[in-house]
Amino acid sequence: MKTTKTIFQDGDHRWLAIVRDPDKPNYLIDTNEYLVTHGDRGLLVDPGGAEIFPAVFSALSAEFDPSALSGMFASHQDPDCCSSLALWLEFNPAMRCYVSWMWSGFLPHFGGSGETFVAIPDEGMEIPVDTLMLQAIPAHYLHSSGNFHLYDKVARLLFSGDVGAALLPPGMDGLYVNNFDAHIRHAEAFHKRWMGSNEAKRRWCERASGMAIDLLCPQHGAIYTGPDVERFINWFDELPVGLAV
Amino acid sequence: MSTATALTVGATASAAGADLLRIVRINEQIKRVVGVSFKINIMALNAIFLAKRAGTAALGFGVLSNELRVFSQELRDCMSGLNGLIHASVNEVSIILRNGRQDRLLGELAKGGAVLPLVSGVLERRAGERSAHAKRLADLRRQLKRALEDAFQLVELGGVLAKSAKIEAAYGQSFAASLTQVSSEFDGIVEEIRGALESLRHSPFFASK
Ligand SMILES: [Fe+2]
Ligand SMILES: [Fe+2]
Repeated sequence: MKTTKTIFQDGDHRWLAIVRDPDKPNYLIDTNEYLVTHGDRGLLVDPGGAEIFPAVFSALSAEFDPSALSGMFASHQDPDCCSSLALWLEFNPAMRCYVSWMWSGFLPHFGGSGETFVAIPDEGMEIPVDTLMLQAIPAHYLHSSGNFHLYDKVARLLFSGDVGAALLPPGMDGLYVNNFDAHIRHAEAFHKRWMGSNEAKRRWCERASGMAIDLLCPQHGAIYTGPDVERFINWFDELPVGLAV
Repeated sequence: MSTATALTVGATASAAGADLLRIVRINEQIKRVVGVSFKINIMALNAIFLAKRAGTAALGFGVLSNELRVFSQELRDCMSGLNGLIHASVNEVSIILRNGRQDRLLGELAKGGAVLPLVSGVLERRAGERSAHAKRLADLRRQLKRALEDAFQLVELGGVLAKSAKIEAAYGQSFAASLTQVSSEFDGIVEEIRGALESLRHSPFFASK
């Protein structure tokens, strides 16, 4: 089973990270799922792949009533982000899935119906969780051509999808980055290969450096906090990306 | 998920996988029968033409050739009915396979420990859906079997027509040799269809529950 860690809390406004499953088979990429709750409502952020659904569901339901989930946010269309969609819908068929307009016709292959999807326009949109307003921030081509991050300005938290992701070796499984230089080595190859556009990356870095961020939470690897957030943005800004062979 | 339920889920999924392969093979045989029945149609047209040339000596042969044309059309209609049932079966088996994977994943939620009422509600509903799909597939299996028997009856009739054509050919005077050749070909082809249907009859698809 995965572990649930509270990474932000202010009264009933909470962010939970659902991380690290010791029983997960090695052939599946490790992912972080997040849950943001406000009042008695909850939004799942990149709910994960179908194969890890039992581990995520069990960890989540220890902390939150899964039938009170009002929706999910999918940063992009990858199977590790949201192929569990159909299984979550079993517990609440009225759940909405927020995803780039580009993928709202693709994700129904994972499950859901015409009513399930809320198409996010390219410029982003506000996503409510109870009375809390989250902001879908454009991150197109990082790496998906229709890609969003999710910003909570109250918590000063940015969920950054595959940006900031690190494929950490066994033993390096801390929730937070504690040695930036040692950590970032495991992020370099991933960013160089997965991120498709230097121009898109530059714009994202500009945008992110103008935002108040205490926690930068990627879908893979460890969470950047405090000064490591800016360190990451600067590092990313200088990294040439979008080259394969 | 109890061990018994987990076993049911696993067995349903692997049986569905085997069924899918069997259905694919049935479909290939159906395609073969349809192809051959087209051949009968063309042959019957030629035979009608030949009978016309033979005139009064081949009147009976002409009538039988016409009957064989009708038979080939009926056989194709029958096969297209079978095709519809095959399509519905593939659809049902695909749903069972997809649900099987989801049932396995949902079933893991119930492994050990107490089950949330929310989870047991979903598992119960899915068990209901699982048996509804299994029932629908069993119905389709029965309908397919029946349609196949109908096709078989039709082929029996085709066989009688081909054999009668053989007898009629003997009265074809100077055309007797060519009429005999045509009617033998008819007979051969009807036998080929019978063989294909016979092997369909023995498909393990109809034996599984
Ligand atoms: Fe991705
Ligand atoms: Fe990813």
